[in-house]
Amino acid sequence: MKRGETSLLPLEDAREAALFFVVGALCFLAALAALTAKSTYGAARAWTAEVEGEYTISLSDAAPQDALAATLLVQSVEGVDGARLLSEAEISALLEPTFGSRGLPADLPVPRLIAVTAAPGAGDIGRALTETLDEAGYTAAVDSHSAWAGDVRRMLGTARIVALGIVALLASTAIAVIAFATHAALLARRDIVDVLHIAGARDRFIAGLFERRFWLLGLRAGTVGALVALASVALLIAIARSSGNRSGLLPELTLDFPDLAVLVITPVIAGLAARIAAGITVMRALKSVM
Amino acid sequence: MTQLRPDIFDEAAVRLDAVTLRYDASGEILSGIDLALKPGSFSFLTGASGAGKSSLLKLLYLARPPSTGEVSLFGRPTSRLTRDQLSAMRRRIGVVFQEFRLLGHLTAYENAALPLRVMGRKEAQYRADVEELLAWVGLGERMHKRPETLSGGEQQRVAIARAVVTQPDLLIADEPTGNVDPEMGARLMRLFIELNKRLGTTVIIASHDLGLVRQINAPVYHLANGLLVKNAPEPGKASRRRGDGIEIKEAE
Ligand SMILES: Nc1ncnc2c1ncn2[C@@H]1O[C@H](COP(=O)(O)OP(=O)(O)O)[C@@H](O)[C@H]1O
Ligand SMILES: [Mg+2]
Repeated sequence: MKRGETSLLPLEDAREAALFFVVGALCFLAALAALTAKSTYGAARAWTAEVEGEYTISLSDAAPQDALAATLLVQSVEGVDGARLLSEAEISALLEPTFGSRGLPADLPVPRLIAVTAAPGAGDIGRALTETLDEAGYTAAVDSHSAWAGDVRRMLGTARIVALGIVALLASTAIAVIAFATHAALLARRDIVDVLHIAGARDRFIAGLFERRFWLLGLRAGTVGALVALASVALLIAIARSSGNRSGLLPELTLDFPDLAVLVITPVIAGLAARIAAGITVMRALKSVM
Repeated sequence: MTQLRPDIFDEAAVRLDAVTLRYDASGEILSGIDLALKPGSFSFLTGASGAGKSSLLKLLYLARPPSTGEVSLFGRPTSRLTRDQLSAMRRRIGVVFQEFRLLGHLTAYENAALPLRVMGRKEAQYRADVEELLAWVGLGERMHKRPETLSGGEQQRVAIARAVVTQPDLLIADEPTGNVDPEMGARLMRLFIELNKRLGTTVIIASHDLGLVRQINAPVYHLANGLLVKNAPEPGKASRRRGDGIEIKEAE
């Protein structure tokens, strides 16, 4: 506003404070859904990508030297980046949750495990591994991690669609609320609208007053909502970390580009929604008078 | 012999042809009104309270269309104008509302300057003029006060300042002196007469204050039962009229 020029619309009253709160809260929820969807999906993708090229081969009834020979054989299979025979200590560590720290029962036949890493871009080498080992006469089971990594990814994909749906629902609710509130504000300001109209103000001029007012309201409420959402996500991650959860699914606590995009886009969408709703409502109301 | 109507009708500042008005379910407030006001004329509209004076003026300042008939301003039938053309036409009209309709959050000065802002004028250009006008209507000291802190008469003068600030081609005033003492009433009338004489503004003033109307020598249109009758000037008083001019008669 220019120096000394009072707005033709009165400054916000209680009604606008309530609307500010509602729009801010809706933006908070929408931004929270967007940020959660984004960071969960991002973390899951990083994790599944890491796990995708990994296979575990278990050999039953294999003598130590046979296992070593099998490992060398696996290393020669096309698309294999590395293969490593796990030591007994490693296997004990893996089985510890099941059998406790006292070690394995002496009479339990312990499988030999070979950890295989596929070369990047090699595709699925599970079948090639199985065939090679079968031909060489080993009794081997090849466990491809990608199978269940895929399940995790599909589940996360569904979760993301749900989150996007929630974002869309919240955005349309915000738009409807704003349209409703604009209508109420217009009725409350009917006196001003009438005086301006009779003074010869064009419809666009009057609509512009409301558009500017509601654009700023949406922008500010959206900024507050998005900032609070970002702070909440950061707080949740910080709490999860400090409580000792080191799961690879926890997203990094960094302000990356998508976060910033959510931070910027939420207020802009809220502002635009408010502005467009205000414009349409006012123009429509004015069309009903001469 | 067929003769076209005199052109004077086409250049009337205000012209009503068979205008009727009814609000929703109610009966006819105005029933078949014809009126033609020449550019630069000065007229009164009288009638009992509830006769429909304010309703008739609403048609003139384009707040609503007539139920039937045509309202033409400045030679143009308004029913055929686009919304933007109507807005442009409204800018040529100054209105003093019976209930003032000042904006409560603006100062007297800002209220008076409102039509200029609507026109897109810059404050630096109009400030001095608006201040001078407000001083003239006796609000020099109080121009930065909000309406709620002003008396009824002061608010009325702000409303009048707002109506004349653009030096409109047509001034429509609804009971503009209803809340001021006779002295201020005469002063405000002189303002309207000045506008009429100096700028050729067409003026129409609704009033049920016959005392005020009789002080000024001007045509009087009387509204009763939805019909408009033009009063002939009272005998003896017409003689005080010089040319086309308007003057305030001396107080008796
Ligand atoms: N907006 C409206 N809706 C319905 N009736 C109205 C409206 N405005 C005025 N009236 C009615 O029209 C009649 C004339 O009113 P008005 O034009 O204000 O008369 P005046 O100005 O001469 O006192 C009154 O009976 C009034 O109740
Ligand atoms: Mg009236």
